[in-house]
Amino acid sequence: MMANKHLHELTKGIFKENPTFIIMLGMCPTLGVTTQVVNALGMSAGVLFVLLCSNVMISLLKNVIPDSVRIPAYVVVIASFVTIVEMVMHAFVPSVYKALGVYLPLIVVNCIILGRAEAFANKNTVLDSALDAIGMSIGFTLALTLIALIREVFGAGTITLIPIGDWDGVVSIPGLRTWPVRIMTLAAGALLLMGYLKAFFGWYSEKKQKRG
Amino acid sequence: MKTYFKVAGILGLICAVAAVILAWVNSVTAPKIAEYDQSQTLMALEAVSGGFDIGEKRFDDTSDTVSYIIPLTQNGKSAGYILELNATGYGGAMKLVASYDLAGEIIAVKMLSNSETPGIGKKSEDPSYMDKFIGTGGDGEVPTSKSQLSSDQAQAVSGATVTFTGISKALDYGSDYVRKQGGR
Repeated sequence: MMANKHLHELTKGIFKENPTFIIMLGMCPTLGVTTQVVNALGMSAGVLFVLLCSNVMISLLKNVIPDSVRIPAYVVVIASFVTIVEMVMHAFVPSVYKALGVYLPLIVVNCIILGRAEAFANKNTVLDSALDAIGMSIGFTLALTLIALIREVFGAGTITLIPIGDWDGVVSIPGLRTWPVRIMTLAAGALLLMGYLKAFFGWYSEKKQKRG
Repeated sequence: MKTYFKVAGILGLICAVAAVILAWVNSVTAPKIAEYDQSQTLMALEAVSGGFDIGEKRFDDTSDTVSYIIPLTQNGKSAGYILELNATGYGGAMKLVASYDLAGEIIAVKMLSNSETPGIGKKSEDPSYMDKFIGTGGDGEVPTSKSQLSSDQAQAVSGATVTFTGISKALDYGSDYVRKQGGR
């Protein structure tokens, strides 16, 4: 029973309570960074680290933080973790820091992190909060990667991954590379695609519910 | 009243702990970051020097666009300049270094720091992005609007017009600025 509950906390974020498609949290970075697959992966990695640390820390401090100032307290905790990640990356892995650019500091205002602190971590145990963070991050990663993949393939005719050795990390798709649907990489394309995906996931989960 | 002090005290304590941790992390990482930034700038200067010898840096407080100028020499003779230029893009300030010959013609350009959108304005970091500016500024004008570009080049900057305009205006200003130096 107990193990089942833990498993539920881990898996619920992947589909049933997917932060992007179902709870609709963190729309701003979702629409902003998904121009290339590699950006989606980098953003997801940053979110995973910060969400895990902040969920654990807030769960630990849930009896210390007074209710009336909980939001400022969460913001301080989250902003501190983001700043630490930023400084450490800048000093030790400058190439990754450069690739993530403006999206690293943006994690502070990513509402998934504040949302999970408020809705979950301040009411649950450390273990469950950590599992919730991991599950939500996986859900976020899958959603972002899916959106980025569709946008990049149609909008630029490429799939940009992480460069390894001599390989520059770019997969070209013949045809679309020469004649891309450029609107997909622009803001309008992001909103358009988000609407279709949201409709698809709404339809799918309704169908599943009806079936039982 | 007592609860207010308690609440404020706890929030203050959380902030203080966070500040101490951040200060410690900063003290460890700051020297490494400074070292990295310096090596990056040096590499960028080497990359745009066009094989000329790099001279002494002179800061310019009178211009908002040019932060400093470095004379380039060949066999002791003045051959051109490197400028660090401040431009404004879609994501705010951008810094680039550009080298010019004495007539104000662009030899090479490299984007340094910027906060442009990845996949859109960030493409200006690709070395090939700056190709459209090289060789302009002397006899030919620096292209500052899309209509001055070939259709291929115009398509490459579409969607990132603000970045393009910011960069081209700074480069155009730099070209005039260099000509006014008169080989000094």
